[in-house]
Amino acid sequence: MIQPALIKRQRLILCLLFLLIIVTMVVGMGLGYASLSYDRLLPTILGKGSFKEEFILFSIRLPRIIITLLAGMSLALSGAILQGITRNDLADPGIIGINSGAGVAIAIYFLFFPVQAGSFIYLLPVIAFIGAFLTALLIYVFSYKKNEGIQPVRLILIGIGFSMALSGIMIVLISSAERSKVDFIAKWLAGNIWGTDWPFIWALLPWLVILVPFTFYKANRLNILGLSEQVAIGVGISVERERILLLITAVALAASAVAVTGGIAFVGLMAPHIAKALVGPRNQLFIPIALFIGGWLLLLADTIGRNLAAPDGIPAGTMVAIIGAPYFLYLLLKK
Amino acid sequence: MVRLFTDELNVGYSDRLIVKNLSVHIPDKKITAIIGSNGCGKSTLLKAITRIISHQTGSIILDGENITKENTKVLAKKMAILPQTPESASGLTVGELVSYGRFPYQSSFGRLTKKDYEVIDWALDVTRTKEFKFRPVDALSGGQRQRVWIAMALAQETDIIFLDEPTTYLDMAHQLEVLELLQKLNREQERTIVMVLHDLNQAARFADYIVALKDGQIVKAGNCEDVINHHVLRTVFQIDTEIGRDPRTNKPMCVTYNLLKGDS
Repeated sequence: MIQPALIKRQRLILCLLFLLIIVTMVVGMGLGYASLSYDRLLPTILGKGSFKEEFILFSIRLPRIIITLLAGMSLALSGAILQGITRNDLADPGIIGINSGAGVAIAIYFLFFPVQAGSFIYLLPVIAFIGAFLTALLIYVFSYKKNEGIQPVRLILIGIGFSMALSGIMIVLISSAERSKVDFIAKWLAGNIWGTDWPFIWALLPWLVILVPFTFYKANRLNILGLSEQVAIGVGISVERERILLLITAVALAASAVAVTGGIAFVGLMAPHIAKALVGPRNQLFIPIALFIGGWLLLLADTIGRNLAAPDGIPAGTMVAIIGAPYFLYLLLKK
Repeated sequence: MVRLFTDELNVGYSDRLIVKNLSVHIPDKKITAIIGSNGCGKSTLLKAITRIISHQTGSIILDGENITKENTKVLAKKMAILPQTPESASGLTVGELVSYGRFPYQSSFGRLTKKDYEVIDWALDVTRTKEFKFRPVDALSGGQRQRVWIAMALAQETDIIFLDEPTTYLDMAHQLEVLELLQKLNREQERTIVMVLHDLNQAARFADYIVALKDGQIVKAGNCEDVINHHVLRTVFQIDTEIGRDPRTNKPMCVTYNLLKGDS
């Protein structure tokens, strides 16, 4: 029933975005604090580089590039799902407090439990996860009303409330902490991609491999849910069950990304929104595009950010916010 | 034969009851109209029967099964609902929207089978919307759009179809067009139609069975002669009516009316 012209258009945009990602990746591989010239890229990839060149490419640049790409995709998909189930274009895992939940959990763990350098980095995603899930659960419980179920608008408002409350808790936590510990948390909050090693890729990839096909499987239900709740019930969708299932999916995606990349908002807001503007509201069409845009946005933000101010760079989260905040305002004003 | 009935049904929001202890039988293969003043609970009753909102106590029985215990997809093959003034279809084409009616029959990933396409084409045919198949729903006029939504309900291939004020926002000709379409579906395909109507004369003209509600309870249920009369309308709407006969259909009709003054 979808016009063939629209499908063709979607394929074309996908190809263009793919090219854009490849170009950005290649540019990113050659840019950085340690030098790796572009004419040495291909030999290094093929295994003919020096030890130093291989180390820079395979242990520093490439993992970071893949992490940002995957995290951007996770956030975009998470945002797409949240926008679908809440029927609100302003929904984003960062805006409704899921990221803050992960942040507070990490801060509490970091400040009050003895931290061992080795196990810490592997525990952090788990901690972020628990925090995000608890927050989502609380948001859900508070926006649930007997006989009415979940009202999407109430869910967003309560989410924003939680996000603010959690930010407040964060300030209290930080103000009572030691200087050295505050630094790490502050960096995490700003969305400084810190998990830049292969294990983090293996921690992030399975979620995408499982949850992307799962979301496509649910695409038609998301389409109908986006139309109207009454219509969805009428054609036999168990609305409440689907919402919970999809909400958990969105939280899992956001938490797994945010644990590694730090608090990054706006990717989940922008990517689905731009994708919908390009190919319309059908989930099976716009989700692949949103995935690519999300991955590319975060990759671009990080590539620019880490090269702007040597040696630490500007956190990707800050770079994304520089683009994202005006976009958010534009969306608000348009409404 | 009655397939669908409610038994001492109570429906409400928070602690306010809208539908009170209501027991009603929906006659099979007939057109039923629910009438009543604003806020009397007619839409709420329709939503409760179609499981869009849940009820507090009492039961709704379809084919001997309580609908709260029935699988929602199974129910969607038995009854379809056209909600009141459906929201915008956000860029969907007519064909796509109607294809959503096939959801209860789809297994996975929402692929449409040959049978699905046949039913969709049939639904577009019956509602005379086939020419719009590839057009965006939002670009159609009110009457056309309403027919498209009905086509979606038809694509569900259900024996029972519920409609919440299907004629609202339509001009007189389009109102009649929709009602005649429903009548045709009822007569030619023996579908049970249940609808909330505002216009008493339309209810009298098209419905076989009329349920008049006031404050969430039934004042009178029966054929048009039983319900569309001075006494019942006085209780239901607080109006003083002059009932005549439609010269073409010979059904009772409200010729003119006045508000009741005081409690006289």
